[in-house]
Amino acid sequence: MKRLGLSTGFAVTALVAAMSTASVAQAGVTDKDILNDQMTTEDVVSNGLGPQGQRFSPLTKLNTKNVQELRPVWSFSFGGEKQRGQESQPLVKDGVMYVTGSYSRVFAIDVKTGEELWEYNARLPDGIMPCCDVINRGVALYDDLVIFGTLDAKLVALNKDTGKTVWKKTVSDYQEGYSLTAAPMIVKGKVITGVSGGEFGVVGKVEAYDAKTGDLVWTRPTVEGHMGYIYKDGKKVENGISGDKPGKTWPGDLWKTGGAATWLGGYYDPDTDSIFIGTGNPAPWNSHMRPGDNLFSSSRLAIDPDTGKIKWHFQTTPHDGWDFDGVNELISFDYKDGGKTVKAAATADRNGFFYVLNRENGEFIRGFPFVDKVSWAKGLDDKGRPIFIDENRPGNPAAAEKGSTVVAQPSFLGGKNWMPMAYSQDTGYFYVPSNEWAMDIWNEPVNYKKGAAYLGAGFTIHPTNDEYIGVLRAIDPKSGKEVWRYENYAPLWGGVLATAGNLVFTGNPEGYLLAFDAKTGEMVYKFNTGSGIVGSPITWEMDGEQYVSVVSGWGGAVPLWGGEVAKRVKHLNQGGSVWTFKLPAKAAMAGN
Amino acid sequence: MMRWSKFSALLALCSLVLGGQAQARLYDDVVASGYIRIGVYRDFPPYSYLKDDQPAGIDVDLGRAIAEDLGVEFRVHWITPDETLEDDLRNNVWRGSVFDKSDENPLALKDVADVMMRVPYDRDYAYKRDDQGLLINEQVVMTSPYHQERWQLAFDSQKLESVKTLAKFQYHPIGVEVDSLPAFYLTTALQGRMRENTRHFANPRVAFDAMKSGQVSAVMAMRSEIDWLLHEDGSVRYRRAENGFPSMGKQAWDIGIAVREGDRDLGYAVDGVFERMISDGSMAGLFSKYGLTYEKPSLYVTTP
Repeated sequence: MKRLGLSTGFAVTALVAAMSTASVAQAGVTDKDILNDQMTTEDVVSNGLGPQGQRFSPLTKLNTKNVQELRPVWSFSFGGEKQRGQESQPLVKDGVMYVTGSYSRVFAIDVKTGEELWEYNARLPDGIMPCCDVINRGVALYDDLVIFGTLDAKLVALNKDTGKTVWKKTVSDYQEGYSLTAAPMIVKGKVITGVSGGEFGVVGKVEAYDAKTGDLVWTRPTVEGHMGYIYKDGKKVENGISGDKPGKTWPGDLWKTGGAATWLGGYYDPDTDSIFIGTGNPAPWNSHMRPGDNLFSSSRLAIDPDTGKIKWHFQTTPHDGWDFDGVNELISFDYKDGGKTVKAAATADRNGFFYVLNRENGEFIRGFPFVDKVSWAKGLDDKGRPIFIDENRPGNPAAAEKGSTVVAQPSFLGGKNWMPMAYSQDTGYFYVPSNEWAMDIWNEPVNYKKGAAYLGAGFTIHPTNDEYIGVLRAIDPKSGKEVWRYENYAPLWGGVLATAGNLVFTGNPEGYLLAFDAKTGEMVYKFNTGSGIVGSPITWEMDGEQYVSVVSGWGGAVPLWGGEVAKRVKHLNQGGSVWTFKLPAKAAMAGN
Repeated sequence: MMRWSKFSALLALCSLVLGGQAQARLYDDVVASGYIRIGVYRDFPPYSYLKDDQPAGIDVDLGRAIAEDLGVEFRVHWITPDETLEDDLRNNVWRGSVFDKSDENPLALKDVADVMMRVPYDRDYAYKRDDQGLLINEQVVMTSPYHQERWQLAFDSQKLESVKTLAKFQYHPIGVEVDSLPAFYLTTALQGRMRENTRHFANPRVAFDAMKSGQVSAVMAMRSEIDWLLHEDGSVRYRRAENGFPSMGKQAWDIGIAVREGDRDLGYAVDGVFERMISDGSMAGLFSKYGLTYEKPSLYVTTP
C-alpha cells in the first residue's frame, strides 16, 4: 500500500538490510566528493557525472571488446498509475540508488538487489498546470540529504536513509506558473536551482540555498533590469541589477515579464569558479511585440557561486522568434591549440548551431551548424551572433490574417533539446543527441483563451527525412566536423554517456539502450527496456564489476506536439522503471 | 519552455492514446445522480469567483439556474486556465487532468465538469482542423450561446478628457493583462506606436488598481470586466471610452457552453434554460445585477 509523503510497509526491514550492507561507508556526500565525482568510479553523486557535466567515465572494464556480455541484473518499477516521461538520471552512493520518477517522486533502491528502501511521493496541489509533461530529471546529494525539485516549484530535502522530509522551501509560486523539473546542483555547500515556466509573465532566476538548512543565500533574475539579492545574517540586501538598466533591450515594460526561465538547471566549472546555466525563450512568444535583443533570454550565463553575480553572458538567439530556448548545457572542456591549453566550453543549441566559447570570459571562439540545415540564419558573425534571414522570421499574428507560412528548421523542439550530450576526454569529441525536423508556422486568428478571443501561431512539425529524425552525432569541437552519426527513426530524447572503454551509451524512444564504438560509431550493443528511454544513463563500479543504469519510460515533450512526428511515436507505450546492467567479472576477464 | 508552441497542436489526438478517458455522465446520469458539475474559471470576476468564500458571478448564477431547472444540486468545478481553450476543454470536459490519479483508487472516475461555461460559440473554431485534417475539438460540443463579449477601454477622466481614438496612447500609459489580446494589440498595432506605453499586469483588477494609483491613464480588458470594475469602484472619475479598435480581427464574439460530444441532450436542456432567460429578460437582469452591459449572442439578434 502506498501513502502520500512516504510509503513505509516493508521499507523498515529493507532499510535494516540496506544499512547492514552499506554500513562500511555511512559518511554523507561532501563538496569534495562532488568535485571528484568524475574520477571516483564507485559512485555517481552529481547530475552529469561530475560538476562540469561531461558525462564521461574513466572506467574501462566495460569496453568495445566485451560490451556484448553486458547483461541486466535487475529492473525496478516505479509502479502505480503514474507513468508518462521518465527523464531522470540516477545517482548511486554507498550501495543505494536515488532516482526520481514522473509526478515528483523519489525512490531509494538497494543496488545489489533492486529492492525499494523508501519512496517519497510529493503531494501536488489541485489545479497545478506545468507546461510540458510531469517529468523530473533527478536529485542532488549532499551530506545525508537527497534534494530535488517538485512540479509545484518546491525544493525538498529528504533524509537519505529514511526518505523523511528534513526541509522544504518554496522556490516560486506554482499558481503564477512556475515549476521545477531539473536536477538541482550542489556548489560549495549550496543548492543551485533554476525555475521552469515559460508563460503567464514569469521571470527566470537562479537561486542558491544553503544545502543543510534550505536558507536562501542569493537570488539572481535572468531578465535584464531586475534586481538581484543576497542574504546576509538573515537580511535581504540589494546585490546589483542583472545587466544594464531596465528596458534597454526590451520595449515598454515587457522586461518585467520577460521569461528567460532557467528550466534545465546548470553545471559548475571549478577551474573558473563559475556556474554555467542557460536561459529560455523571451516572453511573449510573438517577437514582433518586443523589438530588441531581450537580454538575457536564450543565453548562457556564467554566475559567481558565492555572490550570484553574472560574470558574463553569451546570447545564442537574440530577439528569439522561434522558441529556440537557450537552456542547453554548456560543457567545460580543455583542448590544445598549438601547445597552448584553451579553457573552453561547448554548447549545442536548440537553434541548430554548436558553439565553442572561452569559458574564462564568454568570448566566442567558433561556431557551426551541427544539424543538416538551418533555415533562419545564414550563419554566425565573428562574435557568434546569428545573421538572420528576415523573411524566415514567423509573421506578426496581430496582422490578424493567416498570412504566409514560414518554414523553420530546426523546429522549435530544437536541433537538440534538453537531452544532455557527453564529452569524451579520450576522443576529444562531443556526442550530441540531435533531431532533424522542421516546422511550418502561420498566424492563427481563430483562437481563444479563458473566454476571450486570442491570437496564436499555428504550426506543425514534420520530419525532414523518411528514414529518421534522431541523429546521434560525434562532433569534433576543434574542426566542426561530424566524425560519425547514428540515425534513429524516432526523435532522440535521452541523454548520452561516454566512457574510457571507447563506448558511447544512449537510449531511444523505441526502448533500446544502445552502445556505440566512440571512435567509429559502430553499434556494439542494444537491449530493449520495454518502454522508451528519455533519461540519461550512468555507469559505476561495485565489488570490482562495472554497472550501467538507465531509466525507461516514454514521454516528455515529443508526444505532446503532434503533426507528422506524432505518427512516428504514437505506437510507443508508456512505462516507468530503472534498468541496471553489469559486466560480470568473468566476462571482463575474457574481454581483456 | 514554450508558451506559444501548443497553440494548435494535436494534443487531442495523442492524449487519446496516452490518457484514460473520463467516463461520460450522460444527461440521464446527471439527473439520476442528483447533482451537476458546472465548470467555471477560477478567480475570474465578474464571471466566476469567490465572494465570502461562496462561488459567485454571472457564470455561477447561470450554473445554478441550470441545476435548478434540472432539479439537481449545483456543484462547482473550478477551472485553472491552461494556455488555450483546447487545453481547458481537454482538462475539464472530456479527458480530465493528468494529475487526477489516485493510487488508492485507480479506477476512480476523472473529475470533470458536466457543463463548462464561458466557451466561445464560434463555428470556425468548433470545426477547426489540424494539419492532418482532423477535427481538433471533436470530443466536445460547443453550444447554447448566452452572451456576446467584446473589448472595452476605461480611462481616468482626470488624466484624459476623453478617449475617442487610440492615438492618445502614443502619449499616455495604458494597462493590460499580460499575455492577452489587448497586450498583443497595443504592442503591435498601428506600427507599434503604443508599444512603449503599454503596461502589463497580472489581470485587469491589478491594472485598474494601477489606474487608481496613477500609474496608467486607462485600462483595456473585456467589456464585462471593465463594466464590473467601474461598477465596483462606483465613482464618476473612471469612465468607459468610446474608441474603436481599428484592424483588430475579432471585435466581438459569442459565448456559450461545452458538453461532451456524446451528451448533446444535456446541451439541449441548457439551451432551453438560456432561451427562456433571454426571452423573458431575466438574463439581462442577471447581468445588470453585476453592473454589466448585456449584449445578446448573434443567434438571438433578429435582422430586419
